[in-house]
Amino acid sequence: MYKWLSVLSMVVAAQAAAEPVIIPAGEYKPAVLLDETVEVVVMPAFKLDAAPVTYAQYLEFVSENSKWQRDNIAAIFHDGNYLKSWPGNEQVPAEYEDKAVTQVSWFAARAYCDAQGGRLPTLDEWEYASNYYLQQQNLSDKAYAQMLFARNSNPTAYSKQHVDANIEHLEYMHNRVNEWVEDYQLLLTNGDDNDLLAGSCGDSARFMADFGDASYATFFRYQSRSNYRPQSTTSTLGFRCAYDMEK
Amino acid sequence: MKNIMFALSVIFLSSGVAVAQDHSQHNHHDHKNHTTFKAEPVNQEHSIYHLDGEWQAHTGESLTLANFQGKPVVVSMIYGSCTTACPVLVNDARRIFEALPEAYKREVKLVMISFDEDRDTPAALAEYAEKYNLGDDVWTFLHGEDTNIRALATLLGVRYRKRADGDFDHSNLVTVLDVHGRVVERVEGLNRPVDDAVKALVKIIDENHLLHH
Repeated sequence: MYKWLSVLSMVVAAQAAAEPVIIPAGEYKPAVLLDETVEVVVMPAFKLDAAPVTYAQYLEFVSENSKWQRDNIAAIFHDGNYLKSWPGNEQVPAEYEDKAVTQVSWFAARAYCDAQGGRLPTLDEWEYASNYYLQQQNLSDKAYAQMLFARNSNPTAYSKQHVDANIEHLEYMHNRVNEWVEDYQLLLTNGDDNDLLAGSCGDSARFMADFGDASYATFFRYQSRSNYRPQSTTSTLGFRCAYDMEK
Repeated sequence: MKNIMFALSVIFLSSGVAVAQDHSQHNHHDHKNHTTFKAEPVNQEHSIYHLDGEWQAHTGESLTLANFQGKPVVVSMIYGSCTTACPVLVNDARRIFEALPEAYKREVKLVMISFDEDRDTPAALAEYAEKYNLGDDVWTFLHGEDTNIRALATLLGVRYRKRADGDFDHSNLVTVLDVHGRVVERVEGLNRPVDDAVKALVKIIDENHLLHH
């Protein structure tokens, strides 16, 4: 397994800086089942940004796309706090250039990724990449859970940490900000037949049977997601883009 | 990769205390194959016509949603190969239309948007419209790209998911948009009373003096 991983990391390292990394095809068992009849999800390969989008990168995007600037965004695409901490339409807060951009709604994150020729990762893609990252980093379940809980206990401090936008391997998956996914709405299930989070029968049915430290921590990420609205612009929620493999 | 995932699941299995009860052995007798998602609340203050994605109508015409600006619109999201809820949703839109006073009918557009980028080509939607005998002057069926479908569904509060068999789980929702593209009325469920939607349409047409144009 590790031999195989090291070959892969060489392939990834051979790419130019700031290129998205390839997440190889495979299977994963979600900690929360979106479909109670599907316990193993088969994933095709795709590409994912190595790091979350930074303020500097987002500034470049809004400079070229004025309708996504702080004062120009259509009201229906945010909750009133979009890029609220920016001093100006084309000015990021002092010393924030290399931090993960936050206060960005789902609509804005999608527009950014679209402008890069990409898209937001699906929920499955993000979670699968998260598993892949844990393997790549050889992180124990405990270490992973501790990382997530540390962030959750002081999310704003964590979101202010430096991001190396030129990093060549998948990074910052669990210790900077939570990240938008394309189809997070699947989790907004209050009152559904198969309720995910309200403690009904259908809810708990979608926990995996093999439930340990890691899946418990992962569950908290799902729970955070279920609180977002597409217009949400919180200071602890950023994003990175995904890309299809070339055909 | 399989090996990695196997290793991962071994880690899961062997790790600490189970912190949640496993109810997977419950008998979910009332869970049907298809799930109906409850619709989400939405922003009703602002126009959904800010979405700038391109759509193809069943007539072959390319358009953006802003093309419908100036008329009230009854909109629903469906997919063509759906034989259960979707024909009912189409019929619900028709029931709203039929309940309008005669003079008001020509001021209203009925727009059905497909979830299914792959199967519901404009040609397939044209066949659908023909099969259900739905005239082009009133009805528009729209084919779009997944990314635009997702954005529109989000603004309408329609939740959906493509299933492995190619079908979709989705909310059953008929929405009335005003002349600016703002959500003014939502009818959730199937075969619901149409009175409120009809009232909303008449009000929009009256307030905008559309009959006198």
